[in-house]
Amino acid sequence: MLSCKHLVDNADRLIDGAELRPGQRFALRAHLMICRHCRRYLRQLRALTAHLNRRAPPPADDAQTHSVLQRLDPDQSPP
Amino acid sequence: MTEPDLESSDFIERLRAGDRGAFARLVRAHHNRLLAVARTLVNPADAEEAVQEAWIAAHRALPRFEGRSALLTWLTRIVINQARMQLRRSGREVLFDPQESEGDDALAHRFNRFGHWRQPPLNWEMAGPDALLTRDELQHCLEKNLAAMPDNQRLVLQLRDIQGMDFDAICNSLDVSASNVRVLLHRARARIFQLVDHFQETGEC
Repeated sequence: MLSCKHLVDNADRLIDGAELRPGQRFALRAHLMICRHCRRYLRQLRALTAHLNRRAPPPADDAQTHSVLQRLDPDQSPP
Repeated sequence: MTEPDLESSDFIERLRAGDRGAFARLVRAHHNRLLAVARTLVNPADAEEAVQEAWIAAHRALPRFEGRSALLTWLTRIVINQARMQLRRSGREVLFDPQESEGDDALAHRFNRFGHWRQPPLNWEMAGPDALLTRDELQHCLEKNLAAMPDNQRLVLQLRDIQGMDFDAICNSLDVSASNVRVLLHRARARIFQLVDHFQETGEC
């Protein structure tokens, strides 16, 4: 029977959809079925990473884009 | 995570041929993302400089871009190298060997010696106007914690969880083994989890 610590150490792989050996995936799933603390950990970790993803930066505005292009070749006007 | 046609072979061909409109689209799509990456390592002014230098280098190198990695991965790598060069000039260095990074697993103390929860996670308030993750105080707390995190952990968290970059692309951008990136990501997430759990319990940072 694997421990809660083991589950928490591998929870990142579960939420990233990373490769796991079939036996390992089965053991993690079996642990989750019987452990509500670890189910809560995994559910909240997923919510947390989804929340962080909402901080992704927006596209650059015209002024920023223009300033980058200008410094590429200052002699030419931008498109 | 990114406009799919910015990675298409047609678009890359236009860039390689020096199409300014295509390059402008690339800058618009990725500039702020690259800036956020640079800011995880250097101060905001140096980050601006690093990204500008990276665009100049990328513009020059594009005709020889072979497409062995995705364009965004390639750009990220150039920005990280620029930022690391700036750090080196001021006598600092970012190491990607987790042994070298300060701070252990922020959740370790919550398990007993058999690896079972000694202090299980609290139930976070997830719904309603008071939902924990949307509270302003928590956002401030998160900012503070991100700023105090070791550089290598903050960078990996920025790339993976904030920007949604593929795991393999991160390893490729940083030139670091998957197992090292795993450890860094785990430590960064454990810190943030511990912070939110503590906030749920005490209402304080």
